[in-house]
Amino acid sequence: MTVDLRPEQDHRARAARLERALGPAADPANPLGHRAVLAADERGELLADGERALREFGLNAEFVPEHLGGRFTRADRLGQLMRAVFRRDCALGIGYGVTSFIAALPVWADGTPDQQARVGRTLLAGGRVVAAYTELDHGSDFSRTEFTAEPGPGGYVLDGGKQLVNNISRAEMAVFFARTADGPGSRGHSHLLVDLTALPAGRVRRDRRYPVSGVRGCLLGGIEIDGCPVPGDALLGAEGGAMETVLRVFQVTRAVLPSMVVGVGDTQLRTVLEFARDRQLYGRRLADLPSARSTLAGCFADLLICDAFASVVARSLHLRPGETSVGAAAVKYLVPKLLQESSYRLSVQMGARSYVRTGPYAIFQKTARDLPVVALAHAGSAVCQASLVTQLPRLAERGWRAALAGEAPEPVDGGSVYDLDAPLPPLHLGGLELNARGADSLAGDLVRLHTVLAGQPASAPLAALTGLFVTELRGLSGRALALAPRDRTVLAGPRAFTLADRYAHVLAAAAVAGVWWHARRTAPDTPAADPAWACVALHRLAGRLGLRPGPLPPEPQDRVFADLTARHEAGHTFDLFRGRLASGPA
Amino acid sequence: MSGATLTAPTGGWTPNALAAELEKALGDPGRIVRQSAALDRAERFPAGICRELDALGLPRWFVPVAHGGELRDSEDLAQLIRVLSRRDFTVALAHVKTYLGVVSVWLAGSDRQAAALAARVSAGEVVSLALTEQAHGSDLLAGDLSAQPLPSGGWRLDGEKWLINNATRAGMVCVLARTRPEGGARGFSLLLVDKAALTPGSWRALPAVPTHGVRGADISGIAFTGARVPAGALIGAEGEGLETILKGFQITRTLCSAMSLGMTDHAMRLALRFAGGHRLYGRTLAELPQAARALAESYVDMLAMEAVSLVGVRSIHALPAEQSVASAVVKYLVPSLGDQVLDALRGLLGARAMLVADHADGAFQKLDRDHRIVGIFDGSTAVNLNLLVNQFPALVRGYRAGHADEPGLAAAVTFAGPPPPLRPERLALYSRSGSSVVQSLPAAVAAVRGIAVPGSLVARCDRLLAVADEVHEALSAVRPSPRGVTEETFALARRYAVLYAAAAATHLFVAGHAARAADPLWRDGLWLDAVLARLLRRLTGEPDLDDEDGPAVDALLPVLRAQHDEGRLFSLFPCELAKEKP
Amino acid sequence: MTDTSQTTTETAETVRAWLVDRVAFYLERPAADIDVSAPLVDLGLDSVYALTLCGDVEDRFGVVVEATMAWDHPTVNAMTDHLTGLVSGDR
Repeated sequence: MTVDLRPEQDHRARAARLERALGPAADPANPLGHRAVLAADERGELLADGERALREFGLNAEFVPEHLGGRFTRADRLGQLMRAVFRRDCALGIGYGVTSFIAALPVWADGTPDQQARVGRTLLAGGRVVAAYTELDHGSDFSRTEFTAEPGPGGYVLDGGKQLVNNISRAEMAVFFARTADGPGSRGHSHLLVDLTALPAGRVRRDRRYPVSGVRGCLLGGIEIDGCPVPGDALLGAEGGAMETVLRVFQVTRAVLPSMVVGVGDTQLRTVLEFARDRQLYGRRLADLPSARSTLAGCFADLLICDAFASVVARSLHLRPGETSVGAAAVKYLVPKLLQESSYRLSVQMGARSYVRTGPYAIFQKTARDLPVVALAHAGSAVCQASLVTQLPRLAERGWRAALAGEAPEPVDGGSVYDLDAPLPPLHLGGLELNARGADSLAGDLVRLHTVLAGQPASAPLAALTGLFVTELRGLSGRALALAPRDRTVLAGPRAFTLADRYAHVLAAAAVAGVWWHARRTAPDTPAADPAWACVALHRLAGRLGLRPGPLPPEPQDRVFADLTARHEAGHTFDLFRGRLASGPA
Repeated sequence: MSGATLTAPTGGWTPNALAAELEKALGDPGRIVRQSAALDRAERFPAGICRELDALGLPRWFVPVAHGGELRDSEDLAQLIRVLSRRDFTVALAHVKTYLGVVSVWLAGSDRQAAALAARVSAGEVVSLALTEQAHGSDLLAGDLSAQPLPSGGWRLDGEKWLINNATRAGMVCVLARTRPEGGARGFSLLLVDKAALTPGSWRALPAVPTHGVRGADISGIAFTGARVPAGALIGAEGEGLETILKGFQITRTLCSAMSLGMTDHAMRLALRFAGGHRLYGRTLAELPQAARALAESYVDMLAMEAVSLVGVRSIHALPAEQSVASAVVKYLVPSLGDQVLDALRGLLGARAMLVADHADGAFQKLDRDHRIVGIFDGSTAVNLNLLVNQFPALVRGYRAGHADEPGLAAAVTFAGPPPPLRPERLALYSRSGSSVVQSLPAAVAAVRGIAVPGSLVARCDRLLAVADEVHEALSAVRPSPRGVTEETFALARRYAVLYAAAAATHLFVAGHAARAADPLWRDGLWLDAVLARLLRRLTGEPDLDDEDGPAVDALLPVLRAQHDEGRLFSLFPCELAKEKP
Repeated sequence: MTDTSQTTTETAETVRAWLVDRVAFYLERPAADIDVSAPLVDLGLDSVYALTLCGDVEDRFGVVVEATMAWDHPTVNAMTDHLTGLVSGDR
């Protein structure tokens, strides 16, 4: 593009261009439409035309930092942009995009200029870099990794296997998480950036495929390496530094991946809304039955919760990098959970049609199979909860105590984390901290906002709702401080996990309230500034925690449903970004 | 598999005796699991396994003893379905669906029809039930397929049925047809169609519909164009079709719960095996408290599912006039709880839960996909909740009057011998007396107080009584809305179903504890305490912030392990399983 | 927990004893059972959980340490050496 656009317009234009490149989802003649996507899924293949279109669009550039010739500047925007791909085909989103993004992050964080340039070149040329972390025998416990890189002539010798690695069979490069020292310590692992095409044939097998029930098109594969030498400059970052890098840079993926997956929820909701508008039941349209409307409006509100939470944490990566070890884990825990529960409720509305792999609503069953797989991708919910658990007592002692006492410092960003269209400073991966050291400015913001709302009679419903979460935070605080020692370790039990679950809800509520509040000032004419969605969203979060928010008044729910149908008719996305869907012939 | 056929067990009666007998006959479940996994991947019908089941004489169990078959009561079917479902659901579905096709004849057919059908079914004929149509989903009164009387006698069929189990394989199809153009509750009739007797060209099979789960199953349809069937095809009187179907549903919907029991049993076994072997942080997964809790909670939910299923199935015989309530509760609640159990176990298995070929032959993802259909077919969750909502006034009346059919109730919850005989004429579309199971909860709680059980259980029972009052208070406030049922009203119906389950479990314990005093599962009300703890959370929506339920739930872990290690069914009652070959 | 100490009178022995207490607290074992020369991971404090130790240290000694302090000094003895230098020395 030669036109000089302001960044915001540029971003919207890029999202629109990507959506246009994919064409209308519902057009049966569109080679990238849902019909083609379903056919590829049935064959267990990644949609080849889709990969081609994304290559032509230059999607990989979205994962490469600007100074290396790419377009990656903002974590929140990447999440929003990728929703276009995830609305279309989760497998394409994971199989074409996300794997390379995940693998490249340690390179951007720790790589030498040469390593960064090589990976940048590979990606910009449409190549693939894959993240080789998983060993089935050890699951989420990276510290027990068995794949080794031992010192050898001129570098390292690789030995062992990795499983469930996307695209490993056809990637040019891979980042391996490898053991470089004996024993189970946290400094025993290193990243190695390996040119897969240069490995000696006969010592590598990477043609093993693991078929999965969701994202069936993804090429989840395995690699077995039998004593392969790699040069010394394969080492990525310091020897023994991989665990630390993982805990840093995966904060980015934990925030951004769920944001992308909001696109899957969008497609599900759209499909069921269409079904509800088509289907006659007992003499009227399903969409006119009050329970169906409640379900649809509720699922829409849940999508907006997911978007608000993921976007705020993604923005925090730029603005409050010291705290995102907490927020990112909470997003990766809660957003997939909300999306999967929505998926279930929507399937109940559809009944038998949710079970059928043909016909106008067939994309639903595909998304329902895809969601649990992406929910697991990159860190399952137990891992994320566990990493919250370890931080709870200190959060209570410091961040929450200050917040609840009204003594939390005013954030230096002036609340820009909630202002979704505001500019962001660059993302410094090195600035991400492994541990929030008890800081929690989101909680501080929530308490402050509640105090403001409580002083405005016009905001009584939202004041009451935010008040529930402030009270909840107070309860969590006492319980986090009282956690038994073992509940602060890997032996943590249900008490600690329950607290982590509830705390994630409080953070999501803080994000929702903050986004609404700031939109009122900066984007007063948008749906995000309408208190209706915030009201329904907070009501739902409170209901999930059993906080007894009372009956939801019909008015906000009707407004949310009206917004949903208006977007559907106008071809707008079901998120806070409210982009335009491709229409007309492809 | 042995050459013998499955006949009624000869030893003393126990609730799971027939299940154990079929286990013995089928042997190592792994064989069927492996075959089915491959067939599911190839989307092929498990014809070979179904033939083996035919050879075992299973079809004779779809025919009541009175008509010359083996079927003594509904519990027989529940046990067979459970045992088949814990091996493979495609197989269970393919086989057992014949009972759905024939039950209308047992309920409403003539003696001649029944005798003829009994002979065909016993010989292995597949009979399909064709209700739903592409455009109308679960709205049966909107069906377009018509049967017009012919001047010569007999009927002319026109129209299509879609998404029908075994529609293509079946030799006979039980079709719900519009017999009055204006439709309505008396506008539909049931016809038993013998495909072989139709004029070629007057019907055709519709192509198989690819589905999310049960990929090898024959889910297809059938289309008629001027197909002529004889007058004798009519089941019951003209215009009685809907009534017969709805009464049949009260039996079959209740039996669907056994599918969930079987599949969750299989899932739990996969999860336990994995959790016992997978090492994390220097321990097995099963040793991590949070994972152990997920297992224990799932087990408790499975016991709750079983309790409500057992009482619901026995109620077909013991409380037939109230089965419109029990069947809706069971059909909604048990599959929904089953979905939640599978959710929890999926979380535990992680990536292995998604592997199609690699971990235990991809068994978990198959049963996970398969199970979703249980809440959908044969009356979806929405349909069953609507049925409950329609009966709210009777439920409130019955509760306030404290009405209970004492002998019927005692028979429904006491598992000391076979259930009373089925009296199909007592099945009613609407329960005038509400639900004795729920309405006699105060008596059951009083009985618990008289048994030496821990204080925690007594406290939970007291809480349950208070919640029962609240629920009925809320039910009484519901007014029919011209716009349709609201989400809040559906939520109440779900609560009522949970309350029913809690009441059923309490009755079951009271009636059975003395006989099972030596069983650690029953001693000190161990299982009831945990089941009520979990159900009360669902009823009240109150979070368990301080892990108050933890001790009761975790107390079941040793029993869970023992049942697993000793090769017994995950059940309130003993049942020895076939040995699994490693 | 002990009061936060801002004094510079910490000796290796007081630091070590406090660390032993802390590790014993998490593991719910008597302090006497804690092997001061064994890696924390072998004792049962895994990577992510060992990060919490840094917070405890900061609160107790009023110093700022790397979050990965317990990774780089993976035994009680190693941490003691590291911390003694910090808390008694040139702050």
